[in-house]
Amino acid sequence: MNTLVTVMLVLFGLLVGAYVVALLERLLTLGLPHLNTAVVIPIAEVAALLRQEDLTPRGADVQLFRSAPLIALAAVALGALVIPIGPGLVGFDPPIGLFYFIVVLGPFAVAMMNAGWGQNGKEGLFGAFRAAAYLISYEVPLGFAAIGPVMAAESLSTTRIIAAQQSLWYAVWQPLGLALYLIAALFVTFRHPFDSAYAGSELEGGVLGEYSGPNLLLFKLALNTLFVLLMAMGVVLFLGGWQGPLLPPPVWFAIKTVALTALTLWGVRFAPRLRHDQMLSLAWKILLPASLINIVLVGILALIVPGGGA
Amino acid sequence: MLLTGSVDADGRTRPGRLVWRATPHRYFAIDGGSGAHLLAALAGRDPWLQPVASPRHATLLIVVEPISRALAPAVLELARALPRPARVLVVNGARADYVVQQSLISATELFPAVRRVEPSVELVHAAALDPAGWPLLTISESLIVAPDTVPLPLKRDRELATELAVLSLGPVQPFTAGPLRLVLICDGEQVLSAQVQANYARRGIAEAMHTVDWLMAANLAAQLDPLAPITCRIAYVQAVEQLQGRSPSPSVLRLRVAALALERARNYLCWLVRFTHAIDARRLASNAHSLATRLSDYVSRIAGESAVGIVSGSAASAPAGAALLAPLAEATRALRRQIDRDRLLALRTRGIGVLTRQQLEAAGVSGPTLDASKRGAGDIHARLCERLQVAADDLLGAMDAMTLGNADAALETDWHVPPGEARVSIAGPRGRIGLRLVSEGGDMPALVEWERPSAALLSLVPDLLAGQKLADAEAIVASLDLAMAEADG
Repeated sequence: MNTLVTVMLVLFGLLVGAYVVALLERLLTLGLPHLNTAVVIPIAEVAALLRQEDLTPRGADVQLFRSAPLIALAAVALGALVIPIGPGLVGFDPPIGLFYFIVVLGPFAVAMMNAGWGQNGKEGLFGAFRAAAYLISYEVPLGFAAIGPVMAAESLSTTRIIAAQQSLWYAVWQPLGLALYLIAALFVTFRHPFDSAYAGSELEGGVLGEYSGPNLLLFKLALNTLFVLLMAMGVVLFLGGWQGPLLPPPVWFAIKTVALTALTLWGVRFAPRLRHDQMLSLAWKILLPASLINIVLVGILALIVPGGGA
Repeated sequence: MLLTGSVDADGRTRPGRLVWRATPHRYFAIDGGSGAHLLAALAGRDPWLQPVASPRHATLLIVVEPISRALAPAVLELARALPRPARVLVVNGARADYVVQQSLISATELFPAVRRVEPSVELVHAAALDPAGWPLLTISESLIVAPDTVPLPLKRDRELATELAVLSLGPVQPFTAGPLRLVLICDGEQVLSAQVQANYARRGIAEAMHTVDWLMAANLAAQLDPLAPITCRIAYVQAVEQLQGRSPSPSVLRLRVAALALERARNYLCWLVRFTHAIDARRLASNAHSLATRLSDYVSRIAGESAVGIVSGSAASAPAGAALLAPLAEATRALRRQIDRDRLLALRTRGIGVLTRQQLEAAGVSGPTLDASKRGAGDIHARLCERLQVAADDLLGAMDAMTLGNADAALETDWHVPPGEARVSIAGPRGRIGLRLVSEGGDMPALVEWERPSAALLSLVPDLLAGQKLADAEAIVASLDLAMAEADG
């Protein structure tokens, strides 16, 4: 029974998170005066996609094509289990929570590959290979950026990482790690300006180009939930998780997650969509060396300064 | 395959029955050649109406007439790719289209049940958001799409040579004004070679002008480039005036200068909307859309007052509110400065798609594309800055000309044209539009030859794209500001 409740709560939390991402995106585009429109449009889009026909392209590998959005959503749901939203409010608290999180998100790229490969179109295939290349390039800096908090907390457990930030958030003395984490998170979630796997008009929708109706809705849902999930993990790693005065811990966690999501979405509005090779160069030539430097700096601070630099 | 990977569907499900009063509409637009300004104004105008990159994501197909018979199979194929329920909104073509109807097809022949609206942003916007009572999409089965094949170059004799892929961009794509098909032969993300397939917007304007009287020919001339009708029409009127040995008054000449400048500026700003959407530069797109809308509103407002008089050389008076152009020019300059400073934008625009001055002059290219190679690096960034600079200058020039132009006595329009030959060349938005007009003293032109700037640019595209990255190919073509109706004639 407890498991069922946990699963339902995680799925509900993800749905709300996906809605908040969609709302924030529109709010940043339209501006605060259009708050009402920004609130209603995501719900109306869901209704419109549910009404729409669900097409399978001719010659498609039906199993790959149909399973892709489900795999994507399942990967996100499994990852969400280790996010603590309050003291004792965590679906699953293994001692290697962060490692588990990064590993279970791997199949998301598999889902993108399946979607691109399964649709029997060249545009989708190009998108699939782009998605795979990004995964390899950005899982590494993402993991390295997350190592800083692990070194400071001396644990891979997400609850212990939060507990270790009781006196000072890691964002204060690991700002480089937070910046690297956010950039890598944008890549891993295929968001603008790193969305050329499915958003480039030269690929006419790329990986998502042949999806319609409910399956397109599932994929969009998976992309939004993945993004909010990585922002939530960012709060766990760098912003002290659910800790905060006065308000209940889950409310603090929600406020921090929404704030980090809004800040990230606002920041990327200024960039055009980057080219495939520019993204890979950024990953290997800038983010990877920077994340290694961050590890060295965090290591020095953690050794020299009592309390890990705090 | 014309546009999507697999347009036909094996599996179709029944559309759901969920009803929600407020429905967002995602549209896929098909521009037959005259709809670029309208579509630029529509994109980003309303959050309830969003353009999409794939027809599979659309609920609405917006078709801007005229549609040539060559484009019809692609239109049908795209319509088949739409999931149901879907609807079609047809934007009517120009009234002069009936003269060249042999080369065109009515949207009604393709879709038995459609809703039609006049080519106005407000009307299209209102119609798209109110589909109540519309007929659902039905497709004529009379036209059959023949599959195309493209010969691939021989696989290179290397063990690690990858399989080549043929990507067909278009003929319906968002980065040119009107239909153009680019066949890209790619080795991974690298474009090895490119083929250009044009004539999807061909109407045979020059040929049709031989078959109608002088006045009707003026209407047809304006249709040569539906995005720059004033330029084309003034070229024709000047040619007729040259044959007649008539000179318009200085006041009319000034107002013509103003009209041409406004038309160029509007074209540049609408192009910027298209270009920024192509590279998904969102903040820039929003700024460009705002500027283009302000100018388009101004142009629409004064069109009723003076535009017809200006171009026909008859009664003309200075349009009111010319001073409004000064802040618009300043905003355009500010946008240019912002673009110049934007380092992230430079990643997608600097050093990419370089055209040298020699290449352009050899191909007979003129206008801002050539000037960007003369004054700048000749890359996408230089073309972007050059167009914005010219747009700002044109806005100020138009303001000055309109301020100076006073009400002029009406001139009788005389369409009696003596025998002779006239050549004129007018600076349009994409370069100089040239016209050679021959009269034999009859009721209609004996010979009409147009010099089309987009056609000159089009010849450079295959060499320009070879060796580029796939993602850059789109940005490069978008940066050239090709008007396909003008290029195809």
